[in-house]
Amino acid sequence: MPKRDLTIAMVGAGGDGIVTMGDVLAQAAAREGLNVLKTEAYGPQIRGGESSSVVRLSADPIYESGDAIDVVVVFSWADFARFKGEVMPAKNAVVLSDDADPVARTPEDLGLGPEAVWIKVPFAKLSTDSGAKGSKNLVGLGVLTALFGLPAATLRRAIVHRFGRKKAAVGEGALKAFEAGHALGQTLPPMPERQLGYTPGPPKLLMSGNEATAIGALHAGCRYFAGYPITPSTEILQFLDEWLPKMGGAAVQTEDELSAIGAVLGASFAGQKAMTATSGPGLALMTEMLGLASMAELPCVIVDVQRGGPSTGLPTKSEQSDLSQALFGTHGDAPRVVMAPSDVEGCFHTTVDAFNIAEEYQIPVIVLSDQLVGQRRETLDPASLVHAVRERRLPTDEELTNYSRYKETPDGVSPMARPGTPGGIYQTNGLEHDESGRPASLHVLHERMNAKRYRKLRPIRDAYTFHRRYGPEDAEFGILCWGSSKGVVREAVRRANARGQKVAAFVPQVLYPFPKNEFETFLKGLKRILVVELSYSAQFYKYLRTFLDLPHERTHIFKRSGGKSLTLEEVDAEITALLAAERAEEKVSA
Amino acid sequence: MSETVTLPEFKPADYKTDLKPVWCAGCGDFGALTGLYRALTELQVKPWETVVVSGIGCSSRLPGYVETYGFNGVHGRALTIAAGVKVSRPDLKVIAVGGDGDGLAIGGNHFMHAARRNLDIAYFMMDNEIYGLTKGQTAPTTPAGDKTKSTHYGNPEPAVDPCELAISFGATWVGRAFSGDLKGTVELMVKALSHRGFAFLNVMSPCVTWRGDDQFKTLKAKQRQLPEDHDPTSRPAALAYTREKEFVTTGVLYEVAEPSFLDRLAAVKVTALAGKPAPTVADVIRTFQPSF
Repeated sequence: MPKRDLTIAMVGAGGDGIVTMGDVLAQAAAREGLNVLKTEAYGPQIRGGESSSVVRLSADPIYESGDAIDVVVVFSWADFARFKGEVMPAKNAVVLSDDADPVARTPEDLGLGPEAVWIKVPFAKLSTDSGAKGSKNLVGLGVLTALFGLPAATLRRAIVHRFGRKKAAVGEGALKAFEAGHALGQTLPPMPERQLGYTPGPPKLLMSGNEATAIGALHAGCRYFAGYPITPSTEILQFLDEWLPKMGGAAVQTEDELSAIGAVLGASFAGQKAMTATSGPGLALMTEMLGLASMAELPCVIVDVQRGGPSTGLPTKSEQSDLSQALFGTHGDAPRVVMAPSDVEGCFHTTVDAFNIAEEYQIPVIVLSDQLVGQRRETLDPASLVHAVRERRLPTDEELTNYSRYKETPDGVSPMARPGTPGGIYQTNGLEHDESGRPASLHVLHERMNAKRYRKLRPIRDAYTFHRRYGPEDAEFGILCWGSSKGVVREAVRRANARGQKVAAFVPQVLYPFPKNEFETFLKGLKRILVVELSYSAQFYKYLRTFLDLPHERTHIFKRSGGKSLTLEEVDAEITALLAAERAEEKVSA
Repeated sequence: MSETVTLPEFKPADYKTDLKPVWCAGCGDFGALTGLYRALTELQVKPWETVVVSGIGCSSRLPGYVETYGFNGVHGRALTIAAGVKVSRPDLKVIAVGGDGDGLAIGGNHFMHAARRNLDIAYFMMDNEIYGLTKGQTAPTTPAGDKTKSTHYGNPEPAVDPCELAISFGATWVGRAFSGDLKGTVELMVKALSHRGFAFLNVMSPCVTWRGDDQFKTLKAKQRQLPEDHDPTSRPAALAYTREKEFVTTGVLYEVAEPSFLDRLAAVKVTALAGKPAPTVADVIRTFQPSF
């Protein structure tokens, strides 16, 4: 029986074309209408150096990279060793390695079982013989296509598209390398039970979370972006720099993050929807002016694509440890909204919602993405990128007679005049101010204005209740997680449910204002609670404890440092162990 | 036949809010503020199409006293905010104001880059050679050896000349004024506000409280006008009037015509579009669909 799901990892040195190989494979699969999830990892080198690409293809929806890698293509074992513990072949994996590799590895040290298949392929030789020297990656794609029933015709078109755009001859050469691999693959013993089985469908979009974030911004009407390059958020700056000038907007690379957030606030004050994107160190620099946005009630969106920290930390690797900074990083009492997308499509929707909230409630909104979601590519249905857009409240003619910028209102939102409007003149301020915007430091007024600014959080909490819940309604075991942890948790819930275990998961999209009602509804009736996160100090757990009664004896934490994404295996093992312990306890008490 | 005389629409009082400045009596910033009211009147700038942006410091309180849109931001970041306003709304007249500490110490990096970009704003730096709001500490413009509250034994650091910096950073209009010379200040503000690109005006603005009466007297004694034959397009000629010990030379030190930041951004838009119609978001999304 053919497989409906296939995970292929490719590992090699700089120059082996690993990234291109993964790209072409993913593009071809998206063209076929398959579901694709692709992640990449690199060494710290600027150029060259080891890289790996893991592509999961499936006829069914997928939520996370598979842990168990079905096929591993290794051009160099020395480079493979640098991804120790990150690229793990399944026990029954098919391993394709270069027969000229001087490093010897054994099935035992790769943890392979008796069902594994190891094929040594003369990648370099086939590439040279085909006339397309240095195309090991395409030879590899050819072998994979023959062995696992990948769509050969679509892959050929993908290769021609990729290499033949500028020079047709380059495309032809690339095809020769592919055909050499394909021909070799056809001489190998067939593996019918490992073939990918699927029905082709309409083509899907293939994009990264960072790209989806940028598209969300464009869709929401953002026409001003200011940012400073920082891994792993830089693609957002680059993408908007390419598109905004064509769409009547502007993207500016500023001298630092201080300038980026300042420019965004200036643009917002001037009436433009504006955004910046950064990572943890950049958010730290922006924090002073986050308070200014809060105080001056300026709509703005700040995207933090998290990486390992503190300090420079692990710039290319994911972690969920900017949570406390996003929630609490401030001097003074500075209301903001914190949201978290949990997958690529979510990056689009969360960003549009972030703009909607920012504009409607005149408040800074932080979107906490991370390297895992930001830089991986997923397939999307083009019809999924639809989302209503909301606008800022401008003063009416009546409100412009005797205009008060910070007029107290029941929901705390006061109409915001756009410069250029006669009658709307006001001076905004980082100083505490009265309703007209004038500096004032009377404690009574400070109390009132704080209350006005915080009041806006309630309608946001009530209107933006979107969250995800997985698992049966009568669950006894509940998992709480956020952001990119959703992928593995969702797969772990599915696996546990398949075993008949009543496990469910809750993933909020808005982290602050805290969705207390939704959490409490989920927690009702649960016997055990498991908090899952990628933060050494368990920031999410601690945050939850400030709002929720999580009994110590029934609450467990599964947390660790980032640097490697959460795996389905470890979350599944945790669930299994906790449920087993529970059964043991029940036996004792019985 | 009778001639119709059009009266100016805006008088200096129209640019004045009813907020009373927090400045000390005799503060040089009053001169700068009055100068700004008059310069705006001379140019008949529409108040609602103007934005005055500032950072933090005594002089950064100024936007509150001007009846235009105003943004009193945080310390050192006036130019970053001004950049966002101007780039997103080229139709607005944008003026950044602040002190020497705000613009040269905490905000020094932004000064360099706003000048380098030739950002289309006027930047008026009220320079009192001291930190006034925090009550008398040394500033980047405080002369070496001066005793202040944070340099009890004499300032160990040499001072910078803001005009020299502005010229070397790439500002395309650099002038120096003395707020005690109102007429000169108004003239220079009008010129700065009429310049296309980054116009930097260093307004010497004495602090009576922390620099004493002497500062005003010394500035007045040292002030001289640029000679008639000064060539403002010459960088060496302009730099000759910076770091002066004996004089404070006021006037337009440097002025060149170069494409402004907005000019360059407009050119970027033309290049980006390459004669094609502007794409929609749906067009952008379509680029992610495999097209082979």
